Amino acid sequence: MYPPQFGYFAPPSIDEALKFLEREQESRPLAGGMSLIPMLKFRLIRPTFLVDLNPIKGLSYIKREGEVYRIGALTRYSEALEDAPLTLAIPMLREVLTKVGDIQVRNMGTLGGSLAQADPSGDLPAAAVALDSELVVASTSGERSIKAEEFFKGPFTTALKQGEIIREVRIPIRAGYRWSYVKIVRRAGDFALVSLAAALKLSGNAVDDVRLVYSGVGDRPVREKEAEKVLIGRKLDRDSVEDAISKFTAKPPSDVRGSSELRTHVMKVITRRVLLGVR
Amino acid sequence: MLVKAGEKVRITLKVNGVTQAVETEPRRLLVHVLREDLGLTGTKVGCDTTTCGACTVIMNGRTVKSCTVLAVQANGAEVLTIEGLSSEGKLNPIQRAFSEAHGLQCGFCTSGMIMQAYYLLSRNKSPSEEEIRDWMHGNLCRCTGYQNIVKAIKLAGSRM
Repeated sequence: MYPPQFGYFAPPSIDEALKFLEREQESRPLAGGMSLIPMLKFRLIRPTFLVDLNPIKGLSYIKREGEVYRIGALTRYSEALEDAPLTLAIPMLREVLTKVGDIQVRNMGTLGGSLAQADPSGDLPAAAVALDSELVVASTSGERSIKAEEFFKGPFTTALKQGEIIREVRIPIRAGYRWSYVKIVRRAGDFALVSLAAALKLSGNAVDDVRLVYSGVGDRPVREKEAEKVLIGRKLDRDSVEDAISKFTAKPPSDVRGSSELRTHVMKVITRRVLLGVR
Repeated sequence: MLVKAGEKVRITLKVNGVTQAVETEPRRLLVHVLREDLGLTGTKVGCDTTTCGACTVIMNGRTVKSCTVLAVQANGAEVLTIEGLSSEGKLNPIQRAFSEAHGLQCGFCTSGMIMQAYYLLSRNKSPSEEEIRDWMHGNLCRCTGYQNIVKAIKLAGSRM
């Protein structure tokens, strides 16, 4: 199956890429291509040009700066997974990245690409929100930084404007937090039916801070803030967790992967599993 | 490099140790160049949607699904296909193990399976069954039920 015809630009530098993307309004950046190429084949998009970010040096790196990890947008899942200091400092990343697609997909797919794709059932968007990440976005007019929580605007829709690309993902290291990523799939390698990216800080037995972010239950990663509030200051037990669940606001969609009812049920099940499994 | 829609571009890539120059439209995929331009039909197109893994090859040291990599993305790359595994008519130990352990029936998924197994065994010579199944889950087989594929990979690992 051939994709439709498109032009191709392999820019020598990030500046050239940004200029081209701004000038050619219907051009699209190409990162790993793991979502873009299938979408081209299915004629879901018809860009005039693809601007290949892969040859550009300086978009793939993993650096620690104090209590923040700075990860270049073109960093591939496999590269992040193989960086032991990174997955040690931010343990949720290991859980998330080992659940993305399959090995071959992780060898090509990039962190920035998956965030820009903003698949409502994707792994990285929910994780980025739970990890309180910031996305550094570049265009010809400079850089701006967007909180992951404000970045996702709808299905496959983000705060990126034409001519902007994600340049870097910044993830704070939160010592003293516990992390979990639980993903329920119909088949190995599939997108999530529902997944939960959870961050939790306890003081003694009581919840000091908690973030519960789900994928597959809305048009973007869904953070259940009301449920989080109910848990603050309380011990994690049957009562507090059921109180939290009763505050869920998500209205999951029905599609080929499952009905809204099934997703609502799974959302509750994995929330109990994560919160009551904390030791 | 700037190519307009419909125009062709010249790329060079090293396939199984041999440098090849190919003229291609940007919309063609690596698997098209391998099969149609270079005649390396051991690499198969199965699902054509990044699911089944029949088109798995090694690009710059890592396995990729060549139905979802543009040929232009492979410009300057080193690619290893199933044809590059055997030498002087002698099968690679993984190929031999698949044959001996009946790790195939119709054979359509086999080249992709073997390339992914090669990648796994090059990093871990004695993987557990769980590790094998995790590393191989991007490769689908509709015949064997996977048992003999897992056995073949264990057997190959024990001989490497």
